[in-house]
Amino acid sequence: MVAQFSRYPSALLLLIVFGVEVGVGMFVIRDVRMAGIEAQQMYARSVLGLRQIGELQYETQETRRSTLYALTTNDSNLQVEYADQSREADRRVSGGITAYLQQARMPNEINVGHALQHDWSAYLAVRDEVLASILEGSAKEAVDMDLKGGVPSFERVREDLEEIKRLYDTQASEQLARVSASSRRSIVRLIGVVCFTLIFATFSVWAIQKSRMLGTVQLAKLQMDFVASISHELRTPLAVIRSAADNIADGVVEGKDQLAKYGSVIRNQSRQMTDLVNQILLFVSTREGRSHYILQPLEVPDVVNSVVENTAGLMREAGFEVEQHVEPNLPRVMGDLFALSRCLQNLLVNATKYGGQTRWVGIRAFREKTGHLGHGEVSISVQDRGIGIDKSDLPHIFEPFYRSPSVRDAQIHGTGLGLPLARSIAEAMGGRLTVESKLGAGSVFTLHLPSARDASRPVASSALGRDVVARK
Amino acid sequence: MKRCLSRLVTWIAVSCLLAVSNQAARAGIPSRGESDSPEGNLAILVNITNPVDNLSLPELRKVFLGERSHWPNGRRITLVMLEPGQPERKALIREVCQMTESDFSRHFLQGVFTGEVLVSPKILSSPAGARKFVFNVPGAIGFVRASDVDSSVKVIRVDGRLPGDKEYGLRIRPRVAE
Repeated sequence: MVAQFSRYPSALLLLIVFGVEVGVGMFVIRDVRMAGIEAQQMYARSVLGLRQIGELQYETQETRRSTLYALTTNDSNLQVEYADQSREADRRVSGGITAYLQQARMPNEINVGHALQHDWSAYLAVRDEVLASILEGSAKEAVDMDLKGGVPSFERVREDLEEIKRLYDTQASEQLARVSASSRRSIVRLIGVVCFTLIFATFSVWAIQKSRMLGTVQLAKLQMDFVASISHELRTPLAVIRSAADNIADGVVEGKDQLAKYGSVIRNQSRQMTDLVNQILLFVSTREGRSHYILQPLEVPDVVNSVVENTAGLMREAGFEVEQHVEPNLPRVMGDLFALSRCLQNLLVNATKYGGQTRWVGIRAFREKTGHLGHGEVSISVQDRGIGIDKSDLPHIFEPFYRSPSVRDAQIHGTGLGLPLARSIAEAMGGRLTVESKLGAGSVFTLHLPSARDASRPVASSALGRDVVARK
Repeated sequence: MKRCLSRLVTWIAVSCLLAVSNQAARAGIPSRGESDSPEGNLAILVNITNPVDNLSLPELRKVFLGERSHWPNGRRITLVMLEPGQPERKALIREVCQMTESDFSRHFLQGVFTGEVLVSPKILSSPAGARKFVFNVPGAIGFVRASDVDSSVKVIRVDGRLPGDKEYGLRIRPRVAE
């Protein structure tokens, strides 16, 4: 994760923070909308309902009031007018009750609606009799009838309406509580996610900084190791050369033979230093994409022979036996002869360094049956029976400047550039470099190359070489 | 000269006929067409809950003269009258009670005083008011022009006939002698 952060840290952090903020925003918008809908429902069901019930209460009273007004006059015309008003009001009440029942959903709403309908019908029956008595001129009878039947039934209607109001109040309270809970939930979520975002952002920044710091420290350490290795690699031949030169200058060397011997030592040490410096320069140029390879069809035996000849002196000095095996009729491969020689030479040099006491190196060229590069793939492997590579070191051996702690402890000199350079060259040729190793049993490094018959494929070129190295 | 004279006679004759016709109209003598139409009939109304559907003319007279106090279902009879001077009232007093307005008023004044009249009529100023009264009072009985009837009240038969029937006897304007 740290490595991923270090790659695109700012963009990734921004993306994550943006995603989290979008998530928070969606939560908040959803909650606000829900609160709005609930508030609207509360208004529609409770406030409007209460208003309708208020109107119903007024109309019921108007019904009764108009009926009783008829008592206040003996004029039949006026009494008929009051009766008309009463009937108009009672029609509005009946319509209101029907509308309430149509919109009632809960069982208690429906029950109280039916009770109201029943009680209102009962009151109207009494009201009709009262009106008839008033119009007939029997005021006393009308009053008696109203007191006995009208008042109690009207009281029941009033109680029903109060019950409906209570129901609306209860519903409004519940909906208000839901809206409040929703708001509280939104706030808690908002705070929670903001806190999470802050913590996450802080952690991310810390991780990025740590990753960068580790990278910097690691690079500095590798560079220090590299400088130390290079110094050591340079100092040894320099010491030898200086010692030889001192001996010659001091007249310790006598005779032609001894002088030739000292000259040979100086030449060999100088060549070793030159090779080292060349390798460093080649690595730097490969890394910066300045390497230019001339790709051409090459005979595999020529390549192998060239490498073996170039390293024959080294092998002989180190006392190594080289076992060479090249399959007959191998197709030609596309590549740069100098670069391929350098690549294989690095592998052979490594084999002498880490080849252990068996002092045996095998170099083999063969056709790959099912390779990554198709049927035209040719492989050249360099095998030793030396100390092998620990599993934990395998993923790192192609990293520049990397040197295994065990190798460093064993005082085996090196720059940590040989294998990275070899892999860069292999990839620049359109091939690849693989390794199989077992600790204590030895290692096999295999260079896989496309055959020249596949030359039409966009393989090795100087541009590709730069590209590959640049990716590295 | 003769031609002029005959034209003058014809004109005078036509003028006289028109004048007589207008006089008759002003005097309330209906034309044959009006008296026969349902709109020219007097409808007797009762409350829609009243079980009575038919009354003979004598029974109806008794009711409107206040000589009956209750319906067969026990409901008290309430008479609904229009104000004096209205044609429907005139027609009822003439056709049903077979009285003049003054006789009718005197009958009720005297009857209430002596106790012979059991019902005091309610006076409404308009046919619509009379109809609404009948609608509101189960024992009420009233009358309106047949064209003023609606479904809120019930029209009873008189001698088995409804307004609009050929032999229906209650007309707002008196019958012209054949």
